[in-house]
Amino acid sequence: MAGPWAGVRVVELTGLTGAYATRLWAALGAEVVVVEPAEGHPLRHLPPFAPGHEGSEASLWWAFFAQGKRSAVAEAGSDAYDRIVASADVVIADVAGGRDAPRPAHERQVVVAVSAFGRTGPRRAWRGSELVAWASSGLAYTFGFPDRPPVALAPVVQFAAHVTSLFAVNAAMLALRGVRRTGEGQVVDLSVQECCLALAPETGVPLFLDDRLHRSRPGNRRAVTRPWGLYPCADGFVSFLVLQPGHWRAMAAWIAEVTGVDAVLDEAFVDMHVRWEVSDFIDELTEQLTRSRTKLDLFAEGQRRGIPITPVNTVGDLRADPHLRNAGFWRREDHPELGPLEGPGAPFRVDHDWWWWASAPRLGQHTDEVLAST
Amino acid sequence: MGVLDGLVVVELSIAIAAPSCCRALAFHGAEVLKLESPTNPDVARLFGSAWARDEPADVYMDTSPYLAEMSANKRSVGLDLKQADGLRVALAVLADADVFVTNYSSPAVRALGLAHADVARVNPDIVYVALPGFGSDPEQPYYDFLAWGPNQAPLVGLDALTGYADQDPAGIATIAPPDYFAGLHALAAVLTALEHRDRAGEGSFIDISQFETTVSCLGPYLFDHALGGDAARRDGSRVPWLAPQGCYPCRGDDAWVAVTVDDDTGWSALAAQLRADGIDGIDDARYATAAGRVAHHDALDELLARYTASRSAAEVATELQAMGVAAYEVLDNVGVLHDPQVRDRRWFQLVPSHRFPDGDAFGGHPIRLPDTPGRWWRAGPSLGEDTAAVLEAHAGVDGDELDRLAAGGAAFTVSAPERRLRRPYIDYAEILGLGGRRD
Repeated sequence: MAGPWAGVRVVELTGLTGAYATRLWAALGAEVVVVEPAEGHPLRHLPPFAPGHEGSEASLWWAFFAQGKRSAVAEAGSDAYDRIVASADVVIADVAGGRDAPRPAHERQVVVAVSAFGRTGPRRAWRGSELVAWASSGLAYTFGFPDRPPVALAPVVQFAAHVTSLFAVNAAMLALRGVRRTGEGQVVDLSVQECCLALAPETGVPLFLDDRLHRSRPGNRRAVTRPWGLYPCADGFVSFLVLQPGHWRAMAAWIAEVTGVDAVLDEAFVDMHVRWEVSDFIDELTEQLTRSRTKLDLFAEGQRRGIPITPVNTVGDLRADPHLRNAGFWRREDHPELGPLEGPGAPFRVDHDWWWWASAPRLGQHTDEVLAST
Repeated sequence: MGVLDGLVVVELSIAIAAPSCCRALAFHGAEVLKLESPTNPDVARLFGSAWARDEPADVYMDTSPYLAEMSANKRSVGLDLKQADGLRVALAVLADADVFVTNYSSPAVRALGLAHADVARVNPDIVYVALPGFGSDPEQPYYDFLAWGPNQAPLVGLDALTGYADQDPAGIATIAPPDYFAGLHALAAVLTALEHRDRAGEGSFIDISQFETTVSCLGPYLFDHALGGDAARRDGSRVPWLAPQGCYPCRGDDAWVAVTVDDDTGWSALAAQLRADGIDGIDDARYATAAGRVAHHDALDELLARYTASRSAAEVATELQAMGVAAYEVLDNVGVLHDPQVRDRRWFQLVPSHRFPDGDAFGGHPIRLPDTPGRWWRAGPSLGEDTAAVLEAHAGVDGDELDRLAAGGAAFTVSAPERRLRRPYIDYAEILGLGGRRD
């Protein structure tokens, strides 16, 4: 591996809160060592599993998020475990429930201690979860329909964990620049609650302080103007975000063409606040336009007309998406245990030959090798 | 000392994706120069405060709370890039910079003359990061499609997975997760490219499609679908590998508590609490294993709701946490403001700006480096506030030349600088927990 981070050893001691971004870091050349107990990392036991397979290699979470990483089996507290941790340039550790962060083993070591609420404060020992992350950041309260309890954001995806992992790796990369300058590492305290609070500006406290408007869950259309949100179509839903005058004029022309309702062309509706006042009228006309058409037809035709519209994609839609196919987004691998897999490759492009990939490691595949280099 | 002291970053941006990346750089000491113009303002400036509607347009555009937050610590450089003189000066600044980050659409960046090739011509070692909605490759099908933050979450699959199974997707109407996700990739890309420059002595061109970065986090489900599976489904707050998990009703109006039981130990503790509360049926053998709890989630939810409904959300959360079960109040904005962690860790701070000398409140940064701490020293600037200082330092533009540029409309300085404003909550800042500084 010769990526820009070659020679940097990252020891991962987390569950999901480190997994996404350390995969990225491994693909950019870092040596990422996942230290696992004998029964395997928790992700190895999470469904979905590859059909026809069971045991420690079957989880598709592991197959994806451990790509390019090394697996070393060592029990916490053992000599081997301590040696591996001591050999790291960076340790990313889950310190859930108020557990102590690993002490830096040498002067230049960077430790990122990830916990639900941070290592200070009255609730530092409280336990977290994906749902708790959204609840404690004020965001779950804004997700869902008003007649049902709030919901987590795409809970099967565990998005809050992936956001946290990106903050964790960025924290480590920043702290490594600090090592370059001062010769010293540091222990970084990362709170999942704060990582989610950082996503909240559009609906969060600074806005509320300024305008005192209570913001709760609006369902799938935003309480600002229309059309804004999800609209049913022949094979699912599409999403509109019509805010700017030019976008609305294009939308109004399209509605008038399809429905014959020329009243919608009235200049008064160019004002987004007026459209909000007559939401039912705008929504009804928009649905007359969308209901008989497919999401891809609406996407192509709406975009051709200069209207911000997207399809509400399912995982199946994404796999069929012409842009992702054409852009070479998909990466195929022949997994030694699971056979051919196809999934996301590099998340961005660069004008150097940086990306490096390998299949997720078998449980303990690199234990000897890693220990030999401690 | 910030770890990025001395780094010069130029930002050409809209809304959140690029600004959220450069906000982190600015927090840790980089000098971030935001190029902007009143003739084509960042959409973040268009959401000025309702109470400031009667202010002159230029002043109103300085009042947006988004701006205070997303442009904190940045310097505002007023340039009309559509004028030859404006572009010339921008390229002079770029020649002096380490990093350029833009989330303008690729066609717009090309039309301005600020595509990678244009910038690399004046600064071959620059780290150039573009993060448009659909990437910078004109050969790709959606290259010139419009991408707006809230429209991207549906596109990448997150909306279809949010909401209840028996209802239309609830989607994510209130925030734009892919914007932040792309911004976090951009931050990692900048830091990686700086590492590469330190080692190999060359710049980089990094092209981030917001579409592709966010789809990446669906990896396990994309594998699953390719293998004939159908595991990616929406089911309220539930996931197929643990139960119970959900938001349960509490005493009060629209009050909820979030609960996650992720192991048998947690379940035993919760069951004991419900038993003590006199709730029958909790000892049913069906609930003894995670698989059984998942299979009978509806029945479990009813039992749990009987326990939570007579208590406040804080009471339930405190009781459950004391027995090792993950639980939290489903906070609204008032709840966040009064949250003990948010307060104790001083997440929200009051930071002065030119327009708001008494301070503007916004959130901290999750990445605090204790030994080389980042800090906020200024809330988002007024448009053009730093034009003179930045152009002199980075492009050698003196006062006379600036006057000439400004007279021709190629450069802008701050409008009505004497006009100072006050946020309506300033008198209550202390009570709101906004006093003091987070280190």
